[in-house]
Amino acid sequence: MAEKMKTTKEILKGKSAGQKRTPLYHPVALEKLRQDFEGWRNAAVGAKDRNHWCVTPQTILGSDIPREMLYTPLSSPDVDYVQDLGHSGQEPFTRGIHANMYRGKEFTMRQLTGFGGPEETNQRIKFMIAHGGTGINVLFDLPTIQMYDSDDPISKGQVGMSGVAVDSVEDMDVLFKDIPLDKVSVSLVTHYPSNTAILFPMYLVLAERRGISFDKLRGSVQNDITLEEVVRSGPEYLPPKDCFRIQCDNIEFIRQNVPRWNFITLNGYNLREYGTSAVTEMAVALANAIATLEEMLRRGHEIDWVAERLAFFWSPASDFFEEVSRMRAMRRLWYKVMKYRFNAKSPRSMWMRCHAQTSGVSLRREEPLNNLTRAAYQALAAVLGGVQSLHVDSYDEAYSVPTEEAALQSLRTQQIIQAETGVTEVADPLGGSFYVEALTSEIEARILDEVEEIEKMGGYVATIEKGWLHKKIAEYFSNERKMIEKGAIKIVGYNIYKTHVELPPINVFQYPEGVEERQKERLRRLREKRDAEKVNSALLALEEACKQGKNVVPYTLQCARVGCSEGEIFKVFKRSFGLWKPPVFW
Amino acid sequence: MGVRGRKGFEFEMAGKIKVLLSKLGLDVHNRGLITVANELRDAGMEVIYLGNSFPKEIINTAIQEDVDIVGISSLGGAHLTLGGELMEEAKREGLQQRMAFVIGGVFPPADAAKLQEIGFDKTFMPGATREEIVSSIHKIFSAKMDRSP
Repeated sequence: MAEKMKTTKEILKGKSAGQKRTPLYHPVALEKLRQDFEGWRNAAVGAKDRNHWCVTPQTILGSDIPREMLYTPLSSPDVDYVQDLGHSGQEPFTRGIHANMYRGKEFTMRQLTGFGGPEETNQRIKFMIAHGGTGINVLFDLPTIQMYDSDDPISKGQVGMSGVAVDSVEDMDVLFKDIPLDKVSVSLVTHYPSNTAILFPMYLVLAERRGISFDKLRGSVQNDITLEEVVRSGPEYLPPKDCFRIQCDNIEFIRQNVPRWNFITLNGYNLREYGTSAVTEMAVALANAIATLEEMLRRGHEIDWVAERLAFFWSPASDFFEEVSRMRAMRRLWYKVMKYRFNAKSPRSMWMRCHAQTSGVSLRREEPLNNLTRAAYQALAAVLGGVQSLHVDSYDEAYSVPTEEAALQSLRTQQIIQAETGVTEVADPLGGSFYVEALTSEIEARILDEVEEIEKMGGYVATIEKGWLHKKIAEYFSNERKMIEKGAIKIVGYNIYKTHVELPPINVFQYPEGVEERQKERLRRLREKRDAEKVNSALLALEEACKQGKNVVPYTLQCARVGCSEGEIFKVFKRSFGLWKPPVFW
Repeated sequence: MGVRGRKGFEFEMAGKIKVLLSKLGLDVHNRGLITVANELRDAGMEVIYLGNSFPKEIINTAIQEDVDIVGISSLGGAHLTLGGELMEEAKREGLQQRMAFVIGGVFPPADAAKLQEIGFDKTFMPGATREEIVSSIHKIFSAKMDRSP
């Protein structure tokens, strides 16, 4: 009983207390170095630098971790290579989840696509693949994300904007026209648990219709409560406990039926973009993972069965070395959590697999081509950090959905890193840097501290219900705004180095015409030709399942099969669970 | 109650500028709008934060609350479609004389002119500073008051 009340930090501390360490550095050498270092500090380093030895970089989505002027072995004096670092592909996985890293498997070039109707997005998907993209990544429009049909009055004037409109299996079919679902990896950015339970079954029904068995499908869904309850603004929310239940239902169903599918990509990205530090981003994702794993254990599943396919989704921002270091920190911490807290046996369970998307909020409207440079550095940091899959935000981020040429440029950024810089030939190339190793350890400790804070509040779902996380975010971005205003955070072209010449305008994306009408027509035809009785009984059966605590996904799958639309299924969720109002801190 | 300093009255009631803030339609991003809400409140204005709302509801609330300024946040691309509907509704209710309408968010720079054509008094682009927003609202408010009967 007492064991259950311990926080993750306490458990890990207890487990590591007994481990014998073999420090890499010789104590005599360290002592000699200590004296030498002090001598150098007094002789070669000026008083000003001595007194400001530690400085914290001020960046967008920035850190509050101070950095020394120079790092040396003294920064991590008792490093034990085997225990703290390991080789790539070896416990504790600090240096990467595979021995050969990118020599064996390149990072997937997975650029987002999504605008207009499925017809238009299908074209863009093909364009990206034709130009060397190796993964598909679909973003849905606001009505689809918020779970309303294209012909719902609430969707008026917004169909096909900011993403692709999908109402039913018919739309999925058009979206993936000519695309062999058994040969590509498809990320469906379904954001929330609720719309994952609605949209992913539509994808599965499409596979069924095409005669593709579920075990051939590869890809991921987002399926994250953080997205549904914390980082979005919307007219209607389900209560957090029910949202979390659906998150776990999705995981359970997908794990059982679609074995090569990543059923959750723990956030991560959207949380950070909303306004948190790199440390909080990872602490929240980890707290969510812990809560999820505990629920899956409670449901009677084996830890490895779930953990082997857990994945993360990060937002590499501008503090270059922090970005590299935190990927390493999170890999080591995840390993420790899985091994020592959850007693996982499979190495796969201990791998922190992740997709990264460069930070959008750090890109500017002024001098948009600067964004190419910003995103390139962020992408490089992600690659040096060892991510498995990457999307690079486009230079027209502050204008609209990416134009074709801007999307292509983002893809080229990835390809140039991969093909021209040589960085992918070496696993964990920054490993061993005195700076990177010290920062990695510092970040790991801070993430764990924040996880403990969340656990002491009652766990992740509780911090959502209490509004704690909403408040923390509001304070963070309010503070960031003030720092930018003061000029403490410098932004080239905006508050320093402003341009005095007229730069040529960039092309801006134009939405295609007629999307809303086309979607409405498709829905009208669907409703005409489907069996109304089957639709009604499927929706009723879903409502029963919701209320009886059954896994909802077999029922949403049946709804998709008989031609229910997204809005119709969401209505059942609302009826069954009621609505919740999140706090807004202003 | 909003600020009512109308010319022609014996006395002018000093008070707060009353602002209604709304996310336009189903747009999920509210970091900017929450930021603006806080900044306007810190500048001494009375703020009503409506959250996600639609043209008719926004107008009805604006009338009900008798606001001075309606501020719309749109990053989802619907600034001309739903924004257009909003201004149609505002015209139908005869609000343009007594209320100012402003909009910010993410939209192509070329659309800023179109937004003003359909009736918005001011558009704010990404990166608009606190100073710019607060002083613009003061200016717009004064201009409206001067024109009010």
